[in-house]
Amino acid sequence: MLHKFDNTSPEFTSIRKEWMALLARAPNTLLNDIVGPHIASTQPSWLRRPETGLMMIQARVGGSGERFNLGEVTVTRCALRLGEMDGASPVGVSYVLGRDHKQAQLAAVADALLQDATHHGDLEVKLLQPVRQFLKHQQSTRHSRAQTTKVDFFTVAREASSGEDGELS
Amino acid sequence: MKSQELQNVVAGFTHEAFGSQAVFRTSLNALSYPGRPLEMPLDCALPRQGQGAAAALLLGLLDSDTTLWMSPSVLHSDATPWIRFHTGCKVVDDVRAAQFIWVAYGDSLPQISKLMLGSDAYPDQSATCIIETQGFDNGVADLVLQGPGIDGDRRLNVMGLPEVFVDQWASNHGIFPRGVDVFLTDATHVVGLPRTTRISRKTKA
Repeated sequence: MLHKFDNTSPEFTSIRKEWMALLARAPNTLLNDIVGPHIASTQPSWLRRPETGLMMIQARVGGSGERFNLGEVTVTRCALRLGEMDGASPVGVSYVLGRDHKQAQLAAVADALLQDATHHGDLEVKLLQPVRQFLKHQQSTRHSRAQTTKVDFFTVAREASSGEDGELS
Repeated sequence: MKSQELQNVVAGFTHEAFGSQAVFRTSLNALSYPGRPLEMPLDCALPRQGQGAAAALLLGLLDSDTTLWMSPSVLHSDATPWIRFHTGCKVVDDVRAAQFIWVAYGDSLPQISKLMLGSDAYPDQSATCIIETQGFDNGVADLVLQGPGIDGDRRLNVMGLPEVFVDQWASNHGIFPRGVDVFLTDATHVVGLPRTTRISRKTKA
């Protein structure tokens, strides 16, 4: 699903809600490459260790109709603080699909770093932009694959009758 | 929860399962031996406001199905986001709708008869009240406790317990099987007072 915050224009700077949505859908390898080194250098203190549970997903018929329970998904969440408890160190939170605790930790660390003005610009370029690119690419691939199965229904106009047969009812 | 509130939240139990079970065991023992001060295992980071034993007790007992009322001095502190973050409990304004009551030391005690008292059919649907006090010591005991779990009688000295408590407790005991259960705490210890316990002031000789 492509959202309006998947905007890829270069002047676009994201707010927290948007980057958390991006981090939740970021490919694991990209997160590991960019955020992995930060985990080695800073020891996060856990507010909530990674824990896996189920969440009920709700949807609407046709996107606008009655709400119904679509099904449950596995979600892993965690919350951590980078640095000391002094009211200034950022707290990172993440909710990601699946059971990968490491991915949840990486996303939470990235969330915390993005709140820090010294790291924000760097990560915006190195992490968020590539994630947007990735999601856009994924979206267009899926779209084009789906397009090949598209069927256009149309009605063939009957030729005008010569008059003797009369109108078919 | 706003991110500004989350900024001041400290960690919960070091080990969630062991920590909460140790707290639960202590609270069970406290209610089994009314009036006996028991040391609360404090295996968790604590908010700045509120007593450690009270905070740890609530952290162990609450979950997302429970409602909590907090007295003003803990409500407007870092204790509120802390307990909400770690337990998912619902903090309510109306003391009559709360399953757990946290009365910080120095705050006035809500009238016990106004709390959830359960019904005769469901006496378990009553509130549990956690009242912070200044401490328990072995000096001149001013309260005499009697009832199930106590062999004969037990003397208890509580410092900083609101004066009105003993009278309110008598009417709470009178409506058995309905009524609230109480935990008294200081920074490190907890005393259980189940609704079955009778409390009387020691008559001055």
